[in-house]
Amino acid sequence: MTSDITLPFYQALTTDVNALSACQAQDELQGIRREALERFAVLGLPTLKTEAWRYSNIQRYLKEFPYELLYATTTVPAATIAQTAIPELDSYRIVLVNGHLQADLSELPAGKGITIGALSAHTQAPGFTTWFNKQHHLAQESLATLNTALFADGLYIELAANTVIDKPVHIVHVYTTTQHAFIQPRHLWVLNRNAAATIIETSVHPDAGAVTFTNSVLETVVEENAELWHYNIQQGDQHFREVHTTAAQQQANSRYHHFNFTLPGTPFTRNNLSVALNGSNTETNLNGLYIANESQHVDNHTFMDHIMPNCNSNELYKGVLLDNANGVFTGRILVHREAQKTNAFQQNNNLLLGTKADINSQPQLEIYADDVKCSHGFTAGQFSEESMFYLRSRGIGEDAAKALMVNAFSHDITDAVKVPALQHYLQEQIAAIMNN
Amino acid sequence: MMNSNEIIDDIANKEYEFGFTTDIEMDIAPPGLNEDIIRFISAKKNEPEWLLEWRLKGFAAFKKMQFPKWQHFEMPELDLQALSYYAAPKKKKQLNSLDEVDPELLATFEKLGIPLNEQKALTGVAVDAVFDSVSVATTFKGKLKEMGVIFCSFGEAVQEYPDLVKKYLGTVVPHSDNIFAALNSAVFSDGSFTYIPKGVRCPMELSTYFRINAQNTGQFERTLIVADEGSYVSYLEGCTAPMRDENQLHAAVVELVALDHAEIKYSTVQNWYPGDKDGKGGIYNFVTKRGICKGNASKISWTQVETGSAITWKYPSVILQGDYSEGEFYSVAVVRNKQIADTGTKIHHIGKGTKSRIISKGISAGRGDNSYRGLVAVGPRADNARNFTQCDSLLIGNDCGSHTFPYIESRNKTAMIEHEATTSKIGEDQIFYLNARGIDTEKAVALIVNGYVKEVLNQLPMEFAVEAQKLLSITLEGSVG
Repeated sequence: MTSDITLPFYQALTTDVNALSACQAQDELQGIRREALERFAVLGLPTLKTEAWRYSNIQRYLKEFPYELLYATTTVPAATIAQTAIPELDSYRIVLVNGHLQADLSELPAGKGITIGALSAHTQAPGFTTWFNKQHHLAQESLATLNTALFADGLYIELAANTVIDKPVHIVHVYTTTQHAFIQPRHLWVLNRNAAATIIETSVHPDAGAVTFTNSVLETVVEENAELWHYNIQQGDQHFREVHTTAAQQQANSRYHHFNFTLPGTPFTRNNLSVALNGSNTETNLNGLYIANESQHVDNHTFMDHIMPNCNSNELYKGVLLDNANGVFTGRILVHREAQKTNAFQQNNNLLLGTKADINSQPQLEIYADDVKCSHGFTAGQFSEESMFYLRSRGIGEDAAKALMVNAFSHDITDAVKVPALQHYLQEQIAAIMNN
Repeated sequence: MMNSNEIIDDIANKEYEFGFTTDIEMDIAPPGLNEDIIRFISAKKNEPEWLLEWRLKGFAAFKKMQFPKWQHFEMPELDLQALSYYAAPKKKKQLNSLDEVDPELLATFEKLGIPLNEQKALTGVAVDAVFDSVSVATTFKGKLKEMGVIFCSFGEAVQEYPDLVKKYLGTVVPHSDNIFAALNSAVFSDGSFTYIPKGVRCPMELSTYFRINAQNTGQFERTLIVADEGSYVSYLEGCTAPMRDENQLHAAVVELVALDHAEIKYSTVQNWYPGDKDGKGGIYNFVTKRGICKGNASKISWTQVETGSAITWKYPSVILQGDYSEGEFYSVAVVRNKQIADTGTKIHHIGKGTKSRIISKGISAGRGDNSYRGLVAVGPRADNARNFTQCDSLLIGNDCGSHTFPYIESRNKTAMIEHEATTSKIGEDQIFYLNARGIDTEKAVALIVNGYVKEVLNQLPMEFAVEAQKLLSITLEGSVG
C-alpha cells in the first residue's frame, strides 16, 4: 500500500499517523518504530544548517518530485538481473526488488549456520533480537530514524559461529517504481564468532517511468574474531536518488573491510558510514572511490568511533570529479579516553577535472586519549603537468593519458579489492567512464 | 629527577606567575549595556557623529544575534549587562616624557618585563601601551612621524585622521560580522591605529601591550592597520593579565588592510590569566581578527603564541582578494589545567594565483581541550591557487583532548590544496634517546617541545621570539620545559 506524503516532508511524516499504521503488521516493532518517529520529529529533516549536511541539500532533491511512501512488493523478470552479472564472478546471488527479497531469482548459499532471508520473516531470530537497531549512531541521523520508523523490509543475514561462506555473496538491488516513490529498505547482517563472508552489492534500475528515492539502512555486526569483506558498488541512473546509511559494529579481534564505489549515474548520493569499535584489537579498513560526472552530487560521510583500546583503522577515500560534479567528504575519527594505543589514519584525495566541479571536505580528528597515533590528510588538485607531458610525448593522446592517470589514481582502491573478477570489472568500468 | 607523571602533574598544577594587580584610580562607567552607555562612551571620547551612528548600528546588529552553538566547548554564561563598558585611568595632563607616567604603572610593566624606557631604543621597538583601554604612553612617535607612519591610539586617530579611519573601519570585519564583533563595534573603548604610507618600510617593529586590569571590565579594543601600496609593517601584540577570580571577557577586533604589494606581519603572544587549576576565573578571549589582501601581490601573515586565557576562541583570517596575494597563519596553542582553545584560521582564496600556508601546533596538557578549526575556501576565480596546511597536536597526559576540524572547499580545478594533521604524544623512543645521552626527562621534554614549535617561533620577530620562548618555557617549565 502507499500513503501520500506531501512536502514539507517533516510535518507530513510526523503528523501522518497513517504512515506509521501502514507498518503496524509487525507488532513487536511498534515500540521501536514509535520511538524512532519521535526521534525523527526532534531531529527533523536535514537542512543546509544541519552541520552534517551543510554541503548536501537533500531538501532540494526531496522537493523535485511528489514522492510517495511505497511499501508494496514487486517482482522483476530474470532478464532484468541478467545485465547485472559481473563477468566471471563465481558467487551466490540474492535479488532484492525495492528492498524485498525475490526468492525465485536468488541462489542462496545453503549450509549449516547460514540464515538468509527477508528481514520481516526473522524478527524473532536471535541475531535480530540482540542486534536490531542497537547501533547508537543511528539515532543521530534523522534519515536513519525515519527508516527505522517506516521501513518495510530488507535482507537478514546471520552466520552462526565458525561459519564461513565459501563464495562471495552477490546482492543485486533492483529499484524500479511506476510512480515517484520514496522507499526505505532495512538490512541487518550478523556475523557471529569466527564467521567470515564476502558480500558484494550492486544495483540495477529498470526504467518504469518514475523516480525512486531510497533511504536505506544497513546494520552489520562483526562479532569476535569474525571477518567481513563488504563491497558496495553504486552505479545508479538518472531516475534514482539515494541516501544510504551503513552502521557497523565490531567486537574484539574482528576485521571489517568496507569498500564503497560510487560511479556516475545517480544525481544525488549520500552515504553515511559509521563503525563503532566495541572490542579491542580490531582492524578496520574503509576504502572509497567516487567518480562523478555531469551535475552529480556525491557525499560520503564517515565516522570511525574508537571506543576500545588497541584498535587500528585505515580510511582512504579518493574522488575524481568531472564536469559540474560536487564531491563532499566528511571523515570523523573519534578516539575515546579509554581507547589508548589507537592507530587511526585517514586520507582523502581528490582530482578536480571538471571546470565547474567542486569538492568540500571535512576530515576531523577528535581525540581524548594520549597514547595514540592519528592522522588525516587531504589533497585536491590536478594531474601534474610533468606526468601529462611524459605520456603525451610518448604519443598517448590527451584523453587516453587522462584515463591512464585516473586509472593509476584509483589503483590504491581497486588494488585492495580481493575478488579478482570484481577488481577486473571495476577497472573496466573506470576505464569506460574515462573513455566517454 | 622527576618522572613523567610528576612532570605532568606539575604542568597541570602550575600557578600563574604574572598574577598581581595595580591600584590606579579608575574612571568606570556603571555596569550595563544600552544605547545610553554607547552614547556615553562616544561622548567621553569626543567622537564625531558618524562613528556614534556606526556604534549604534553595531548595537542594533548585536541585539538581533545569539551566541553561537557550534564551538567545541561549553559556552560560559556571560552576563553582558553586569559588565562595565568603560574604564580609563583618570585623565592626567599631557606627558612629555616617560618620567611623568604613573610610577606604579611603570612598575607593573617592569614586572611584566616590558621595558618602557630607553632600552627600547636599543631594541628598536616602539610601544603603544594600552592600559585598560586608554593609551597612556607612546614612544618613538617622532621617528615614525618623520616617515609618515601613523601609529597612535584609536581615539587619537579618530580625532586626527578621521578620513582614514572612516574609509577603512569595518571594511574587513563588518559591524554585523558576529556577535562579539557587533558588541565590540558598539562599545569599543580604544585600541590602536596604524597607517603605513606608500612605499614605506616601517623601520621598527610596532608593538602594543594589552593588559586587562579593572575587575568586571570587559575590554573591547579595536585595532586597524592599513598598509598602503608597497609598504611593510611588522606589528606585535603581547598580553598578560593579573590574577582575578571573576572571569573577564575580552572581545577585541583586529582589522588589517594590505594594498598592492604591501605586507603586514602581525604577531601575538597571549598570556592572559588562564584561571586556577580548577578552571575558576580566567579570561575569555573571544577575538575577531581578519585581514584582507586587497591589492595584488600583497601579503598578510598571522603568527600567534597562545598560552593563556581560560578560553581562547579566535580565527585570525585572511581574505586573499588581490591577484597573487599571499596569506600565512602560524600558531602555537598551549592548554593545561582546564583551559580551552578553539582556534585556527580562515583563508578565502578569491584572486588568481593566491597562496596560503597554515602551520598550527597544538599542545594539550592537564585537562585542557585544544581544537584547531579552519577553513580553506578556493573560489571559482582563484586560478592556480595554492594552499598547504599542517596541523599537529601533542598530547601530554590522559585527561586532555585534542581536535582538528578543518573545512576545505575548492571550486577551482586548477587549485592545489594539501592538508595534513597528526596527533600523538611525545614518543617514548625520543625521550629514551635523550635520556640515554644524559639529558633528564624534564629537559628532554622541553627540548622536544621546543623543536616541535620551532617552525612557528621562527616566524616571530627576533625580539618577540625570545619572549615567546620564555613564555613557553614558563608555561611548561618546572614541568616540561
